[in-house]
Amino acid sequence: MKAFEWLFKIDRRIIFLILAAAVILPLLVPLNLGVKISQPVKNLFDEIDRLEPQSKPLMISVDFDPNSMPELYPMYLAVLRHAFARNVKVVILGLWLTGINIGEEGLREVSADFKKINGQDYVFLGWKAGIAAVILGMGESIERVFPADYYNTPLDSLPLMRDVRNYSDIPLFVSLSAGDPGYRQWVTYAGSSYSLRIGAGVTAVSGADAYPYLQTGQLVGLLAGMKGGAEYENLVNNAGYYKGDMIATKAMDSQSLAHLAIMILVIIGNVGFLLARRKK
Amino acid sequence: MTVFWTWIGALLTLCIFSFLYKDNPFYKFAEHLFVGISLGYSIAVTWHNAVFPELYVPLFRDFHPANLRLLIPFILGLMYLTRFIPKLSWMFKLPIAFLLGLFSGAAIPREFQANIIKQIQGSLLTADSFARWDIALFAVVGFVGVICSLLYFFFSRERKGILKPASEIGIVFLMVGFGASFGYTVMARVSLLIGRVQFLLGNWLHIIK
Repeated sequence: MKAFEWLFKIDRRIIFLILAAAVILPLLVPLNLGVKISQPVKNLFDEIDRLEPQSKPLMISVDFDPNSMPELYPMYLAVLRHAFARNVKVVILGLWLTGINIGEEGLREVSADFKKINGQDYVFLGWKAGIAAVILGMGESIERVFPADYYNTPLDSLPLMRDVRNYSDIPLFVSLSAGDPGYRQWVTYAGSSYSLRIGAGVTAVSGADAYPYLQTGQLVGLLAGMKGGAEYENLVNNAGYYKGDMIATKAMDSQSLAHLAIMILVIIGNVGFLLARRKK
Repeated sequence: MTVFWTWIGALLTLCIFSFLYKDNPFYKFAEHLFVGISLGYSIAVTWHNAVFPELYVPLFRDFHPANLRLLIPFILGLMYLTRFIPKLSWMFKLPIAFLLGLFSGAAIPREFQANIIKQIQGSLLTADSFARWDIALFAVVGFVGVICSLLYFFFSRERKGILKPASEIGIVFLMVGFGASFGYTVMARVSLLIGRVQFLLGNWLHIIK
């Protein structure tokens, strides 16, 4: 009984140290626990896998900022690699002001790996104020909302955009979303008004909230948290599209061990609480 | 230069982590720096991406009579600033009212369609729901969960008779939902920690690849 009383008085910094060890050790000595692919992730992979090469573009919205990079940036890179490896054209924009540089950085990195050309294989539209107005406006005319791309090149001079007028020319859309504005706004405005096919990558915090949209078919696929990113990386890797670095997959051992540590702490805490209550 | 910024990033990360030991001036410095830079960055990007190309240039550089319509958002925007002038502060309510009306009109029917009608449709039991035993099981559990959770929030009658067990089942579904959300939240926070540790051990110290 005294042991549990001691547990109640434990310094929170010891718990921080336990968690730090659970995160750091597997990064130094990988356990290779593996990643199981879930159906919503596979669905999004299959959707992108079905897109026709050198045809209508995949549109990606970078709706996150540096705070959510560990979760969403690996997804962004994996989806880009998948598309570029299949020669699918890509149009990128973002609803988060502070996320635009991340979108550009990832695009620069992956497009260089696959030797893709700006304006021909991809277009970076950047950010525009207005959220709902931007989403609804693009349903009528992308060019009216974005007369020029991020680098100030008029849209009508970019070969990729010549046959892309509005959502009817976008076979698939992916929102990588850390909250609002994000996939919910795309589903609400573009999905319901223009029947845009939408897939999403979300932070784990929003994972539970996103599942109802899968069930109704409003989302065609879903990647939730760093785990979703790791699953997608594995799918891209297993299909032979990209054999390089897999940031999220490397982190999965740490994630599993940290979860295990938290579960043990929660169980110990609850058992201790129950025993202490019985003693009273 | 990249090495310099990696060091800056690493040192600021350590400043923030130092809060785990206890509150201290290093943490406060990093926190204030973050708030200031975020705000400054947002203002600069908004100016360069929105205000300058879409308002300043068409009104004051490449003026064309058709651009006069931009005076409406310009004046509405200025009205926000009247908040700081007590005699004129009533005017700041006008742009708020304008935006409220505009976005309510745009959002209400679509929110209703996407988040209520579609979700109700998704919760209904149809012939397709029984195509396979596992689909049927999830559909029935989902249906019972929706009904019982809604009954838990039905406050117009006393909870007795059928309402009592139904609302108690509703609590179970709600607790499972909260548990799932909490689990996902833990996963998210651990992911952020892993991201920082990967940066410190990889980009900064080069201990891991």
